Amino acid sequence: MLSLKGVVAGYGGGSVLQGVDLECAPQTITCIVGPNGAGKSTVLRVISGLLKPSSGEISMNGEAIADRSPDEILRRGITQVPQSHALFPTMSVRENVLMGGYLIRKQRALLRERLDMVLERVPIVAARGGDNAGNLSGGQRRMVEIARCLMLDPKLILLDEPSLGLDPRSLAGVAGLINELNQAGTTVLLVEQNVRLGLGLATHGVVMEGGKVRLTGTATAIKDDPEIASLYLGGASGSSADGRSSGGPKTETTSV
Amino acid sequence: MTHLVQAIALGLLIGGVYALMASGLTLIFGVMRIINIAQGAFLILVAMLTWWLWHETGIDPILASVVTTPLMFGFGWVAYRLLLSRIRGSSASMSVLLTFGFALVIEGVLNITAGNKFKSATPSYFEESFRVGAISLPKAQVFGFLAAMAVLGVLYFVLTRTWTGRAIRAATQNPSGAALVGVGATGTAALAFAIGSATTGVGGSILSVLYPFFPASHYDWISRLLGIVVLGGMGSLPGALIGAGILGLAETLTATYGSLNWSTLVFYIVIMVVLLFRPQGLFGAKLREDTV
Repeated sequence: MLSLKGVVAGYGGGSVLQGVDLECAPQTITCIVGPNGAGKSTVLRVISGLLKPSSGEISMNGEAIADRSPDEILRRGITQVPQSHALFPTMSVRENVLMGGYLIRKQRALLRERLDMVLERVPIVAARGGDNAGNLSGGQRRMVEIARCLMLDPKLILLDEPSLGLDPRSLAGVAGLINELNQAGTTVLLVEQNVRLGLGLATHGVVMEGGKVRLTGTATAIKDDPEIASLYLGGASGSSADGRSSGGPKTETTSV
Repeated sequence: MTHLVQAIALGLLIGGVYALMASGLTLIFGVMRIINIAQGAFLILVAMLTWWLWHETGIDPILASVVTTPLMFGFGWVAYRLLLSRIRGSSASMSVLLTFGFALVIEGVLNITAGNKFKSATPSYFEESFRVGAISLPKAQVFGFLAAMAVLGVLYFVLTRTWTGRAIRAATQNPSGAALVGVGATGTAALAFAIGSATTGVGGSILSVLYPFFPASHYDWISRLLGIVVLGGMGSLPGALIGAGILGLAETLTATYGSLNWSTLVFYIVIMVVLLFRPQGLFGAKLREDTV
């Protein structure tokens, strides 16, 4: 569905991404993990068109999108929920969600249909619709951000650290919503510092370090591999402690 | 007492007109971080055009805004595309240099074409007043106020009820968030600049009746507008309205109880005091470069 080949990109002079190869199959949840500065968020920014890659190929369903503008990429069904501050603080929650349908603003019936769908799927939008988005809590804000991107009925959702700054209860709500969307057929690519949460949610895992993809595999294989955990994840998955690791890399895990 | 009520009434009428003039400036800053020093020159350009229309055809100067507003919308659009889009991403001080240069060009052109003389449009009601009890409200000021309120009403409607307005507000509040929902930065900026310029279409027509002007009057006007916008908070529309009301009142009260000579100084004093004690103004982002 989505494919990146040899993508190089950066800010100013330097290259944060140094030849990234990545594949997302339809209806999967892929989680990118790795240390700070590995280029995880930058991968999402080049896919959504906010950052132009200096070389490499990005394609969505076989069509090259690396040179497209953010709105053209949106039209192809790819939406991004950034790490923070994605909402318009002095607009109402309802208006924020409506802005998610900016590209379909002329199709009134479709817009209404989508809004009804979002209201049903993300109850907070109906419950706090008239409030300014700036007055929401972090968890509520995250739900509204995801709700907003649903207005375009995306094929692929890019989520940048959905867990950032959320309490456990909000976290469960966000994770539940991501799962629901995936079950409804949406492909998800997320970046997550909370390795246990991210890989727990995902079907596939990608380990990045130093602007390159080091490993790919199923989420369980990466999560349960003590070697990977200690090498790339600072032992953060802690899965060996609960005895689920069987030792040694799983067959699906392939070194890159 | 009558003096005070009279001064307050006049101050609010003037404040309404100031609010309209400042709304364009703050809108442009909000979306693009451009401080349009040429906004005063746009006003004088329109005032000159209005004066000429009135002089040649006898059309009511305030009604002439029906002609000048769309003209200024187009003028603003073209100016953004040809000139201001080139400094996108530069610091706000770059926009000051560019638009100051633009203002000088407009002033020069007006000097050559219209001459360096004071002008004022004086329609038939120019010297008439409405009397409400003991106070008298000059008709020109009342008409100007009503026109300004009508345009601000339209502006409010456009900003809150249309997709264009939502896109402009979104780009003002969160440029990257706006890009993520598909709001194109360049198109929105050009529209905001065009709308901001269009407000001078009405503002300048009102100015031509209420104040005598000549090409270099734009220095005086941009100073007033900056005073209002700095007080209200750069980029904040409600701030501009409240700042305009406060300064309109301050100006007339100073003229009534102090002297006319001091009344225009109020604006400069306000700029200095606000920048010293509350650089972000009442409602807005900080004007200082390091925080823009």
